[in-house]
Amino acid sequence: MITLRQRTRVGVLWCALAAGRLLAAQAPSPATPPAAPATPFVAPVIDDTAGLAGPRQPIFFRHDIHAGQDEIPCQYCHNTVAVSSEPGMPSLQTCMGCHLIISGTTASHRAEITKVRTAWSERKAPEWLRVFWLPQFARFPHQRHIKALGQDGCTLCHGDVARMPQIAQPKESTLLMGWCIRCHVERAVSRDCTVCHY
Amino acid sequence: MSDGINRRRFLKVLGVTGGGAAAISACGIGPEPTRKLIPYLVAPEGQIPGTATIYASTCRECAAGCGIHVRVREGHAVKIEGNAESPVNRGRLCARGQAALQGLYNPDRVRTPLARGADGHLAPITWDEALQRLDEQVRGASEQGIVFLTGHDTGAMDELVDEWLASIGGRRVRYEPFAYEALREGNRLAFGSADVPHYDLAAAKYVLSFGADFLDTWLDPVAFQNAFARARAFEAGRAVSPARLVYVGPRLPVTGMNADEWLAAVPGTEGKLALALAHVIARDGLAPASADAGRLADLLADHAPAAVAAETGVPAAVIERVARDFARSGAPLAVAGGMAAHYPNGAGIVAAVNVLNHVAGASGKTVRHGAALPAEAAGRYADMAELTGDLADGAVALLLVRGANPAHSLSGAFIQALDKARFVVSFATTLDETTAAADLVLPDLHPLEQWNDSRPRPGLTALQQPVMQPVFADCRAAGDVLLGLLGRPGGFRAHLEARWRERHRRAGSRESFDAFWMAALQRGGLYDGGEGAARAARLTADPAALRAALEAGIGGPVEQPMCVVFPHPVLHDGRGADKPWLQELPDPVSKIAWHAWVEVHPDTAAAWGVVSGDVVLLTSPAGAVRAPVWVTPSVRPGTVAVPTGQGHVASGRYARDRSFNAFTLLADAPTAWGGRAFAARVTVARTGDHRRLASVEGNSRPHGKGSVETLGLAAAAALGAADHPFHHEETPEYAREAAEHWADAQYRKTELGNYAGDQPRWGLAVDLTRCTGCSACVTACYAENNIATVGEELLTRGREMSWLRIERYWLTDDHGTPQGAVSSLMMCQQCGNAPCEPVCPVYAAYHTPDGLNGQVYNRCVGTRYCANNCPYKVRYFNWYNYAEVGGAWDAFPDPLHLLLNPDVTVREKGVMEKCTFCVQRIRGAQNTARLEDRTVRDGEIVPACAQTCPSEAIVFGDLNDPQSRVSVMAGDPRGYHVLAGLNTKPAVTYLARVMHADLGAPPPAEH
Amino acid sequence: MTAPSAPPSVPAAPARVTYDYVTRTIARTLGDPSRGYYLLLGAAVGLLSIGIVCLLFMLRYGLGLAGYSHPVYWAVFITCFVFWVGIAHSGTLISAILFLFRSGWRTAVYRTAEAMTVFAVMTAGLFPLIHIGRQWYFYWLIPYPNDSGLWPNFKSPLIWDEFAIGTYFTVSTCFLILGLIPDVAAVRDLATGWRRKLYDITALGWRGSNEEWRHFTRGYLYLAALATPLVLSVHSVVSWDFAMAIVPGWHATIFAPYFVAGAIYSGVAMVITLLVPIRRLFSLEVLITEHHFENLAKLCLLTGMIVGYAYTAEYFIAWFGGNPYERAAFWYRAFGPYWWASWTMIICNAFLPQLLWFKKIRTNITALFVLSIFVNIGMWFERFVIIVVSLAGEPYSPWTNGGYNPTWADWGVMAGSFGWFFMWFLLFVKNFPAVSIAEVKEVLAPPQAGRH
Repeated sequence: MITLRQRTRVGVLWCALAAGRLLAAQAPSPATPPAAPATPFVAPVIDDTAGLAGPRQPIFFRHDIHAGQDEIPCQYCHNTVAVSSEPGMPSLQTCMGCHLIISGTTASHRAEITKVRTAWSERKAPEWLRVFWLPQFARFPHQRHIKALGQDGCTLCHGDVARMPQIAQPKESTLLMGWCIRCHVERAVSRDCTVCHY
Repeated sequence: MSDGINRRRFLKVLGVTGGGAAAISACGIGPEPTRKLIPYLVAPEGQIPGTATIYASTCRECAAGCGIHVRVREGHAVKIEGNAESPVNRGRLCARGQAALQGLYNPDRVRTPLARGADGHLAPITWDEALQRLDEQVRGASEQGIVFLTGHDTGAMDELVDEWLASIGGRRVRYEPFAYEALREGNRLAFGSADVPHYDLAAAKYVLSFGADFLDTWLDPVAFQNAFARARAFEAGRAVSPARLVYVGPRLPVTGMNADEWLAAVPGTEGKLALALAHVIARDGLAPASADAGRLADLLADHAPAAVAAETGVPAAVIERVARDFARSGAPLAVAGGMAAHYPNGAGIVAAVNVLNHVAGASGKTVRHGAALPAEAAGRYADMAELTGDLADGAVALLLVRGANPAHSLSGAFIQALDKARFVVSFATTLDETTAAADLVLPDLHPLEQWNDSRPRPGLTALQQPVMQPVFADCRAAGDVLLGLLGRPGGFRAHLEARWRERHRRAGSRESFDAFWMAALQRGGLYDGGEGAARAARLTADPAALRAALEAGIGGPVEQPMCVVFPHPVLHDGRGADKPWLQELPDPVSKIAWHAWVEVHPDTAAAWGVVSGDVVLLTSPAGAVRAPVWVTPSVRPGTVAVPTGQGHVASGRYARDRSFNAFTLLADAPTAWGGRAFAARVTVARTGDHRRLASVEGNSRPHGKGSVETLGLAAAAALGAADHPFHHEETPEYAREAAEHWADAQYRKTELGNYAGDQPRWGLAVDLTRCTGCSACVTACYAENNIATVGEELLTRGREMSWLRIERYWLTDDHGTPQGAVSSLMMCQQCGNAPCEPVCPVYAAYHTPDGLNGQVYNRCVGTRYCANNCPYKVRYFNWYNYAEVGGAWDAFPDPLHLLLNPDVTVREKGVMEKCTFCVQRIRGAQNTARLEDRTVRDGEIVPACAQTCPSEAIVFGDLNDPQSRVSVMAGDPRGYHVLAGLNTKPAVTYLARVMHADLGAPPPAEH
Repeated sequence: MTAPSAPPSVPAAPARVTYDYVTRTIARTLGDPSRGYYLLLGAAVGLLSIGIVCLLFMLRYGLGLAGYSHPVYWAVFITCFVFWVGIAHSGTLISAILFLFRSGWRTAVYRTAEAMTVFAVMTAGLFPLIHIGRQWYFYWLIPYPNDSGLWPNFKSPLIWDEFAIGTYFTVSTCFLILGLIPDVAAVRDLATGWRRKLYDITALGWRGSNEEWRHFTRGYLYLAALATPLVLSVHSVVSWDFAMAIVPGWHATIFAPYFVAGAIYSGVAMVITLLVPIRRLFSLEVLITEHHFENLAKLCLLTGMIVGYAYTAEYFIAWFGGNPYERAAFWYRAFGPYWWASWTMIICNAFLPQLLWFKKIRTNITALFVLSIFVNIGMWFERFVIIVVSLAGEPYSPWTNGGYNPTWADWGVMAGSFGWFFMWFLLFVKNFPAVSIAEVKEVLAPPQAGRH
């Protein structure tokens, strides 16, 4: 597992890149055809957040910007997903690694980023609302699934997070037993009860 | 999250991404993951959520100083295991060590400083106030008698106390109810030095224990047990025969239970018996005569077997035989202590046994002098008596107490004296009797929360580090407080590190201090100091003095029964009583939990007209107790025995007002050798009351047969690799067809999806020759599997939840007198052909591909058919919701729930539960193996019971892998399956207990 | 039993029982209820509510409130379950089998027996749900397609039970309703108000035409033939709950016939217990005569002998089989701490019924009533002994030492079950003909021409 120091370093690097990307995106460039696959994804500007799916989080953290537009890999923040049953929630320090420098382009972004900074200065971590919830008697070892499905396996259950302004549980991912079983049947992996229940 | 500790602090402790974060939900099978995710501000280095972090530290439940590994999940200690690197316990741990967690999370811990107000009650105050008061008192009391009372302690904290006392001119008193003082005095008497030598049980071939319960409560139990198991273990084809153990004492403790022979000498005459044995050895020249022994010629001459036979109650012939076998065994070892050392002539007895060792040539071989255990640190009883006097005279202005609870173990005299002290300060974690009487209570940190080091053995320094943030923010390490009083900057950690810098400098090693320090922390201390040079001990005993020391007897009329008070195996002197795991753990001998008892021999009971459960009044000159009778052949006729540990008037909800306090029977006056006598003559009166003993002992239906098997040594040695003396039962004729059909069915299964291909078959092997019945595995199981404690009332109604029970069957001689016992574990046998599976209507009980009897808690509807159909009766039902927060049967009151293992579901009411070989550990290991693209290695998976077993009697592994240790043991000629005749094909193989030939095979029913 | 003196409207018993007399007498049983009736009904409802309260407590706090222990995992609830299933038996026996054998005497009693059957099964069916640990998941025992692809374990005797009881309930209910049609039609014409509506519906527009009668009798015959095997199957399956387990005292091949006989025995006894008071209450002495009771008594004697034989066989095999565990179990049963239960069972079920050899007793209603009560008690204890004592005395593992001490929860729920049963039964006899009008008439000599 990467240490904090390393991560902060990488973080700063990402910020630089991200900043560059952002400027590039904002500079009107008619030369590039809009529909070309090469076009990097640009997260939409959202005025009305009320209509978004999923629970309202204390801070309007946008996966579509971080994971989509800036293409930060999931494991940069959820860094224990490949080694532990728990994916790991990024510590506030991880956020600050970038947001020390990046303070947002639009007023709304700045507002949200300010929240992060205040939280950091006040040493009070935001209380995110859990979106994907399993009862305790159902064990889900993330690391096994990443190992089996690859680094981008996340989307299979969590949906295309990189395009979600706000995280919501995809309709097809019911997180019910039948849904798990179906996948285990397709992939011909164990369906023994005590693999998940103990 | 329930109240008690407020949510934010809880989460700060917890750090948290869910997994078992929140409290147990009252409905549904909890503890459920939180609905909120609170990230760390700064992620702690090296901690992976959902994965345990291991911290090395040292167990402080007793003075043995076992190395421990504490498993920490999301910032919480959830399990304690032995540290394999520690030479003390070699990775093993006893029940008390396992239960340390319940001291850490004890709901009755002192959470804030308390001060006695005008109304005479203790009321919370702030630390500032508290420290200010302390400071005033110290200044006011200097030069007028300041006394610091502690328990057995060595190392940094210990020395800091002395340093502080020196600075203010105070006195230091150490007090332990069981301080091995007779042992030290006996050694002084015999060798002129009070050092406690090192007893090499592993090398012994013939062990004679004079009252020393070295397997359970004496000196270094885990180490001794491990060593003795090695000495006694039977390995086919091993040249030397297993060690023989003869126990001398008025009652059988765990050590006696594992004896091959029991000599129930008259209490107090053990010394004479020892001399008689020495007499025979010297007379017949069975061992090379030593020069020193010559000086004792007359003394020995007076102790001819014939002469002492009558007095000791041991026939001369037996003495002759034992003496011969003992001396000829090649590696004899006699140990004296425990019960035999608790008489007024205890020191004399120890000295006599030293003489025996010397005469038999054990000194220098199995008894190594020079490597002294730091028993001095346990203090002297005389000092305590003096302190009581001073207190009574008002000569003590300020009394500070830490790690000692004399108000419980000493009688009223001390408590009255305590009131005379002008001011009493207590550094405490729980509100024990002494603390409850204090004027100022400073909440101390639990050993698992604080820094310290100690010297459990010569040349060995054990480190102690906090494994988590303090459970209660408002507790402070006593070390920090003292440093504050000394006006030293920095906390105790800095102080400790400074000491280690010094040590590092002296060691003059080339590595940097940081490296040195980190290495020590990771290992749990410095283990490679070596024992130090052994020196030959000269037998300097003065015959006259020895003679005199042996004579001192218990006062009182001889016709009155002698009452011996022995330390409780897990509650010990009472410090374990506030831990529900230890309260619920049946005593290995009596199988009684939650209350104390008095042991009475059947003949005596018949004479008195009492039966088990009758409450009698025991009255000694010092005091009286009402005790329920337990009629047992394991105590000598005419003698009664009571355990310590119960009868608290404080110490929290689990200890308070339970049963009686045996200490009240004992006189306070020190004996001739300075220590306290733990025996007294008592009068016994029937009260007419009767109570049902909270015992898990089996009833007298004669069917122990098939549960335990034993083999004479000769028979065992004669076994060829191909022999299977017990396997003939495997498939009886009438079941042959069924068995074959079953085999086909199993074979066909390997074609089916889930069961296809090669699968392991998890199995367990238990060597009954090693198992001592100490019950450490039981507590380990509670800790690992979130098993609820149900309390006395439900236990008497036969509702205990212990997945693992230890069945004890006496081994009796022709007269029906037990000479020892066989203890056997009974847990789910993971039958290959399980009766519980087909009857479950919802597949909650089913057969897993890897051969377990899976139990899916969340699928169980609780028809209990499986339990009816289980011949081993190892399934346990949740009659109530033992995890309901604030519920009437809540087994995990806040913050005890923090020790719940997040990897194991907490069962709700109406659900059947049982042992599954710690399936969570199996799956965990499989996950890791899978990530590393390999298969699970043999020995990689260790269930909690096997991990902790001090005698290494339990081995787990894959039965389908012929190379695995368990397969090898399962194929052992001594192997058998319990109730094999039922054709259940258990995955647990028991290896028959091997006994020395002269002991009759057991009728296991008699118990 | 407070049996009020019959109201004045009782038609004096004529020298010869006529059709008209039968109709009027039986129709009168549906008249306004007496105080005694209300007392009984009140008592029943009272018991039921006690049971419900106890049940609610157990739902909230868990089964621990009952007297269970390790290893007595089944106790009074399962005992009651088997007891009530047993009671349910004679119903079908009397109505179906005796019908096929054309034994005329059944006509006066079979309606009561059938009603009893239906209500007893309704009672029995509740217990498996009450006794499980997580009652709110009872539906997991029922096979239904679900997203998780989970099914019940068809290997488990408990699932077999479910089907056996279900089938039995369905068939016996149909049987009762079908038999009622002509009678309801008969009383319909006398009834008024809401009852009129009720009968209108239940009579299915019966007019008593030849056509209808022919279909009715045929249908009844076929249904009887269909029901007959159930008498044997149901209790055999129930017995397998125990016989399929390896518990000594349960694991015996004799169980199926043993249970069936026992069931009929207890059922017939219960019929007597119920008929005696009804006969007094509704003064049906003329229709339900000593002759009927005597026949019931004979049936009792026969099945009682079979049960007695089964007891002997059990003990004999336990000794003769030489299996030490079996022997221990039965020794414990007879002389262990629960000896009183075993001996109550043996005396009530095997010895007392021997009195029925005497015609004096067979024809003495009071004696029969008392005797039937004893048999009911004995049969309850038979199940108690088989279930509780076998578990408590489980000889395989000597280190399981929990006894069984029943608590208020056990007794409360049991009392509730009696309340539940009698409530339905009392409501039935007041609202439907307790004796079959049509069939009683069948066995009367037809009226001579011109006299009507």
